[in-house]
Amino acid sequence: MTEWPKNEWMDQWQALSRQYWNAFQDLTREAGTAAGNDPAAMPWHEGFEQWARMFGGGGKQGETIERVLASAKSFTAFAQSMIAAATAGGHGAMPNWTDALRNGFNMPGGSASMFANPVAQALREISGQGAKGFEQMMESFKPYLDPMREAKTWLGVPAFGFLREHQEHYQKMAVALIDYQEQTSRYNALIMKSSQRGFELFESKLAAREEPGRQIDSLRALYDLWVDAAEEAYAEIALSPEFREIYGALVNAQMRVRSQFQQEVERISTDFGMPTRSELDSIGQRLHDLRREVRNGAAGDSSALAREVESLRREVAELKAAMANGAPTQRVAASASAAASKPIQHKRPRPPVAKKRTPPVAALRANIKESVSTESIKETPRAKKVAAPRVRAITRTIVRAQRPASPPRAKKSVAKVAHRPSRVGHPVASFAERIATFARTARRKHPDAHAARGKHAAARAAHLRVAGAAAVRRSTKNGGR
Amino acid sequence: MEPVRIEPQKALDEALKMQKKLAAGMKTLRELDDVSYGATDKEEIYREDKMVVYRFKGARPPTAKVPILIVYALVNRPYMVDLQSDRSLVGNLLAQGEDVYLIDWGYPDRADRWLTLDDYINGYIARSVDAVARHTDVDKINLLGICQGGAFSLCFTAMHPDKVKNLITMVTPVDFHTPENMLSHWMRGVDTDLFVDTLGNVPADLMNWCYLTLKPVRLNQQKYIGLVDILDDKVELENFLRMEKWIFDSPDQVGEAFRQFIKDFYQGNKLVKGGLKIGSREVDLRKIKMPVLNIFAEQDHLVPPSASRVLVDHVGTKDYTQLAFKGGHIGIYVSGRAQREVPPAIHNWLAKRAD
Repeated sequence: MTEWPKNEWMDQWQALSRQYWNAFQDLTREAGTAAGNDPAAMPWHEGFEQWARMFGGGGKQGETIERVLASAKSFTAFAQSMIAAATAGGHGAMPNWTDALRNGFNMPGGSASMFANPVAQALREISGQGAKGFEQMMESFKPYLDPMREAKTWLGVPAFGFLREHQEHYQKMAVALIDYQEQTSRYNALIMKSSQRGFELFESKLAAREEPGRQIDSLRALYDLWVDAAEEAYAEIALSPEFREIYGALVNAQMRVRSQFQQEVERISTDFGMPTRSELDSIGQRLHDLRREVRNGAAGDSSALAREVESLRREVAELKAAMANGAPTQRVAASASAAASKPIQHKRPRPPVAKKRTPPVAALRANIKESVSTESIKETPRAKKVAAPRVRAITRTIVRAQRPASPPRAKKSVAKVAHRPSRVGHPVASFAERIATFARTARRKHPDAHAARGKHAAARAAHLRVAGAAAVRRSTKNGGR
Repeated sequence: MEPVRIEPQKALDEALKMQKKLAAGMKTLRELDDVSYGATDKEEIYREDKMVVYRFKGARPPTAKVPILIVYALVNRPYMVDLQSDRSLVGNLLAQGEDVYLIDWGYPDRADRWLTLDDYINGYIARSVDAVARHTDVDKINLLGICQGGAFSLCFTAMHPDKVKNLITMVTPVDFHTPENMLSHWMRGVDTDLFVDTLGNVPADLMNWCYLTLKPVRLNQQKYIGLVDILDDKVELENFLRMEKWIFDSPDQVGEAFRQFIKDFYQGNKLVKGGLKIGSREVDLRKIKMPVLNIFAEQDHLVPPSASRVLVDHVGTKDYTQLAFKGGHIGIYVSGRAQREVPPAIHNWLAKRAD
């Protein structure tokens, strides 16, 4: 390292500073703006204010430019203090780099906190607008917080009278503000501790560089070493139980303040007849719940409606399979379970025209036992008039199955018949009678199979009873139509 | 011997050099337009609310029979996997012959505030998986979950194992209570209910602030001083800005999903401790019996390797593979090493399990 006599270092330093500023002025002139005639003793990072004025705030990359300038400013401040330390360390004395780092920036225009508490400085420079807005708001409250703190004991006094709710709210708000300020102080103290620890680690890292071949020969390398130390120290503190407690307390305190302010805004909005956040949230929640219900139903996931739809699909598939194949009971049951996983077929499968349509009565009887309970008809005579769609659909199938074998009538679909009952008499009443007859026959011929249906059939019967009764009520209410 | 040997004149030159670079670079930086991202052509195959499922189109048709669906995290935008042509996980997978799909969650707003993890995992992800399966006419697909999306993929696979053929997790937190997990350490002191009840959706700026405070000096100062070095290199500068855009282009976090994620994962650590329920279903990682490939980054400060590598102890599969990548949480997608190592590793692993 070049050495200077002790009494010359200040001259040397001033010469370097002047050189820096002259070069900086040249650069700014090139960039289109003349810099002011600053004295050589001016802090170097001050020049970045000029850069910021020239380049900041414009273009798509405005925020990046601001961040680069802020960082370069910090680095230049660092550089200046280090060069000063190096110059002062003439006549062979080893400069105190840590002191230079810690104290070197208490000069006009420099941020005293920048190096005394570099981590706090870095945290402040994180320019998230969300965080900034809240900080700015808290700044505006600062003048009122000290008197409030003095009156803290009074903030717990119960409120009385007509305005007690308002008073209580303001008391809570004041308590929240004071608490937030206290938690912020605790947090800052911890960050300061982290910075102090950073300086200690910086010293120990510097000591490790005393070995030959490991010396630092550039400002940048020295800066990087300092960053390593600062981050290491910060991580030590940030992973401590103390930090977790204080961090949590700070976040919670901030949320309480925000919450109190939100309540105040809501109160004012209500007074002025404005919609509030709570109202919108409430509507949003209801809408969301409704969507979930509908979607789950459609997906056949969990709702009762979905289960019922699935059950109906299975029944229809059973009947269709029986009609199409003329299969015996066992085969129908097997195909029904397979069909349950398939989407419903929209086109009715028809047997080949040439094939004789023999009704698979035995198979249908078994299915009817699952689908329809004759008891409901017995117990509810008015159910003869029931026109519930499910019963209609099932009975239609039964009637068709009972008809004597005959070639299908062209151009007359079952659906048309169902919609025009007058053409075929009064199908609803006769269908119900036929259901009863069929069920009686089925029970007589297959008593074991009937019993084996067990709870499932009983539950289905109960369901149909309810549906039947409801249909009768509706039918009565609508004048029998 | 002195630890620092800085010549004052040399130091001054260094400071001036920096000024010169800044002077030259500032003008360029100011004139640069917004950077573009997303190098690979893609088509939309499914859309629901703000979520879109895309299929990426490679230069040639895929040779793989089973498609890969990438499930990205909610906390950042998914174009990180296809940032630019020479830094694209997607592009490299396509080049290997894979058929790649991706869930883009979009930007939730207050209307989405009530979406739960059940809506995301048993709803959006389930329907996306179905959509991809339909689109490719297969019964099962390969799922690739990234970061928080990896945790979602684990939950989904445990609940719907019949829909997943192979599971790949990248930088995925599994054990949230490992000692070096700073984010989890901090969150355990936070009153989550108060937090979400107050904020509704969690603002992106707040999330970014939180991430930056994990390494405040390095991420907020040192990084930009490093930028000065490349200010005169337009290509490098654009690369930097593209990354910068991704870092700060964050969606707000849906309140209810955030609440559940923090309480059950960060605070309760239920993914490994058990007792995690998504909707009405219980998540049991032992039900993951299909092949699993777990990739994590050794220098990851957001999801420490220890949080990921424990997956082997909790899944039920006998076919478990682990890949430790030398890099960080972001480098695993965009670094040169990542382009060379990660996509071929995924492709080769899948190829052996294609039947």
